[in-house]
Amino acid sequence: MISNISAENLMKNLKIQLLLVIAATLFIFILFFFPTESFWLILLNEVLVISAVILLLLSIHDFITAGKFNLLSLVMNLGILNAIMFFFITFSDSILNLIYNNLGDKIKNPDLIYTIISFFYISIFVSSLSYIYLTFRQFYFTGQKRERSLYFNTMTIFFLLSVATAFIDKFPGQSYINHTFLIISIILIGINSIRISWIAFLSKKEKVQLLILSIVILTLFILNLIKSGDDTTHYKILNGFSPALNNFLQLMMIYGIVYFSILFFTTLFHIPTAEAYDRKAKEVSSLQYFSRLITQVLDFNDLAETITDIAIKVCNADTSWIALTHDGNQKIIANKNIGFVDAGTLTKYILNETNSSLEKIEKAVFRLNSLRNVPQLTEKYSSLAISVLRVHTEIKGYLFAAKKGDSIFDDEDKDALNTFTDYASVAMENAKLLEESIEKERLEKELDVAREIQRKILPSKNPEYNGLSISSTFIPAFEVGGDYYDFFEINENQLGFVIADVSGKGITAAFIMAEVKGIFESLSQTSLSPKEILINANRILRRTLDRKSFVSAAFGFLDLKEEKMFLARAGHCPILLIRDGATQDIRPSGLGLGLNYTSYFASTLEEIKLDLKENDVLVLFTDGITEAKNLEKEDFGESNFEKILIENSHLSAQEISNEVIKGVTLFSQDTTQHDDITLVIFKWKQKFNLIGEQEWQNSAPQSKTRVI
Amino acid sequence: MAEFSTSIKDQGNINVVYLRGFLDAHTAPSLENTFSGLVDKGRYQIVVNFKDLAYISSAGLGVFMAFIEKIRENNGDIKLTSMSDKVFNIFDLLGFPLLYEIFKTEEEAVKKFNEIK
Repeated sequence: MISNISAENLMKNLKIQLLLVIAATLFIFILFFFPTESFWLILLNEVLVISAVILLLLSIHDFITAGKFNLLSLVMNLGILNAIMFFFITFSDSILNLIYNNLGDKIKNPDLIYTIISFFYISIFVSSLSYIYLTFRQFYFTGQKRERSLYFNTMTIFFLLSVATAFIDKFPGQSYINHTFLIISIILIGINSIRISWIAFLSKKEKVQLLILSIVILTLFILNLIKSGDDTTHYKILNGFSPALNNFLQLMMIYGIVYFSILFFTTLFHIPTAEAYDRKAKEVSSLQYFSRLITQVLDFNDLAETITDIAIKVCNADTSWIALTHDGNQKIIANKNIGFVDAGTLTKYILNETNSSLEKIEKAVFRLNSLRNVPQLTEKYSSLAISVLRVHTEIKGYLFAAKKGDSIFDDEDKDALNTFTDYASVAMENAKLLEESIEKERLEKELDVAREIQRKILPSKNPEYNGLSISSTFIPAFEVGGDYYDFFEINENQLGFVIADVSGKGITAAFIMAEVKGIFESLSQTSLSPKEILINANRILRRTLDRKSFVSAAFGFLDLKEEKMFLARAGHCPILLIRDGATQDIRPSGLGLGLNYTSYFASTLEEIKLDLKENDVLVLFTDGITEAKNLEKEDFGESNFEKILIENSHLSAQEISNEVIKGVTLFSQDTTQHDDITLVIFKWKQKFNLIGEQEWQNSAPQSKTRVI
Repeated sequence: MAEFSTSIKDQGNINVVYLRGFLDAHTAPSLENTFSGLVDKGRYQIVVNFKDLAYISSAGLGVFMAFIEKIRENNGDIKLTSMSDKVFNIFDLLGFPLLYEIFKTEEEAVKKFNEIK
């Protein structure tokens, strides 16, 4: 790679060095041998001149192809070079004669000075002509779809032939050789100038610029050709120095005249369609841009902004805005180059005027000047186009575009807007669906957290007490329901328990639950009665609960030594007692926690003392059981619940629980569980009742209760 | 899932709100809107008819708690009528009858408002 680059550099340097050597040789040659009539000397001179020009061309070519050139600036450069040449040709007569005459009087060797001056004069022309040739070459190869270098190269060869034979003109009778080559060259110039495809890619503004430039440059080319005629000093210098150069100049001027005449007319014919072409190009690029947007993940509001941006480009509007239909009203979600208030006023006005009739909206372009009762706006809008944003057949909203000043939308603008709106609808729908799915995912994450909190709050194992069989079952609903139960081991004879249900669902319920646990955890360690504990809990919860939230709870103590239960209830489901094959609701009165913070709350609370008997079953539950639904949306209900409890009351706590859960599951199969299910069962058994104990132990292998 | 709707009948100073369907955590905001609409208009004498309500969850009960304080401060009240046994049972468990007047029929509730006046 590096060696390649250095090889290229070497080549470039070589060309330039060679060029300088030839130029120097030429200079010395002219100094010693001119003017001359010798055929061989003239031929040698021509060979040197042509080699110098070719080397110069190669050097400039490297320079031109190295950078990327704007075609319009190349045209400008042509114009400037032509103007310079025109200047020199026009004033060569007077200035050069003046210098020559003045110097001729003062200096001994005026020929030398004359030669030096004409040498520099010629250098300017050689450089300019080389540049012009290469520019034409660049024009020719730009925008060519097929490989056409053959045509251009053929032309170049004939240029070379024509130039090389130019000196024969000096010898009468032989001029037809040169003239033949010249004519063929001109024909080839004509052929190669016909296809000018690069104009099509210019914008309208650039085409107009080009039109003006080409007429100016064309004039310069014509003037330069005419002025470089027989009797001028310029002709004498150039032709005298090298007929080849003069021939080259003529060829380039002819090329220029032909090329710029054709360029002028082609551009002229392109102008009327330029606007349409511009628009199509803009439409294509907008649609491409937009189809890229559709596939990108975008914020809904960002997308709406982008849609208004593109809408303005697509239909050549000045302003654009989007109104979404929401509950029968229009809400502006994006507005570009128009005030929010104006957009709202216009939206309301147009939809009223058309009575939201779709046919009118989709087909018409509104001329605001001709509409009556146009409302007060901060700016003047002349024309308005509306397109309907719809998904399938449902109307989601409207995309508006408006023009300010005097211009009016045409049918093509309207079509473009309609087409674009179809894309916009799809993109907006995609963005919305994406947003919804992200929101859903967020909620699911939140619920995961809530379930995790709940799992950690609930006791991980049941306490173990002599003579008491305990089971606890908790089945969470998908949306955390806010159920809570707990055991507090006060001492070996005393067990505290609580069951509660926080209103509401999800993460809010989970946090309240955590607070409730803390409250009961600490209150149970005091020597307060269940009623006093609930009164305190209500007081403490006031700080946490908002007006809409409340907690139903039941708190109690089991005294195993005294064989008693103390219970208070704050709005919770009753505790069920199964005794002698029947169920009893244990339902001391009491308001739910958080429903009233005055002393009235305490006055509603009642505390119950219950004497426990052998084989008593106590059931704590939440409404997740009784309100479990089947496919017909019927409740599982209390009677089903009590029936299962009675039928299985001879079993252990765990087995009774299993039967209940089985019953509920069977009942509510194929439905979603909407609320948490909590079921805590205590089964009391007299101590030292060996027969019963045996039976119970065998039937309850999974029971955690230890029996002595 | 569960559908829920409300409708309001103006009856002089009293507004009767009819509940229909399932009132749970998802539909509770709809009832909240109904109540806050009434409260904003200064309509503080409200009778809620539960005749067509199939189900109410704890979140549904919470809606009544959210407004009762403000309404009573303005010498108004929410009176509940025509509950099915099932719905009444849910209110009863939580002790709502201790906080709200619950009537068998809408007429009784309306009459009660008019008596006070």
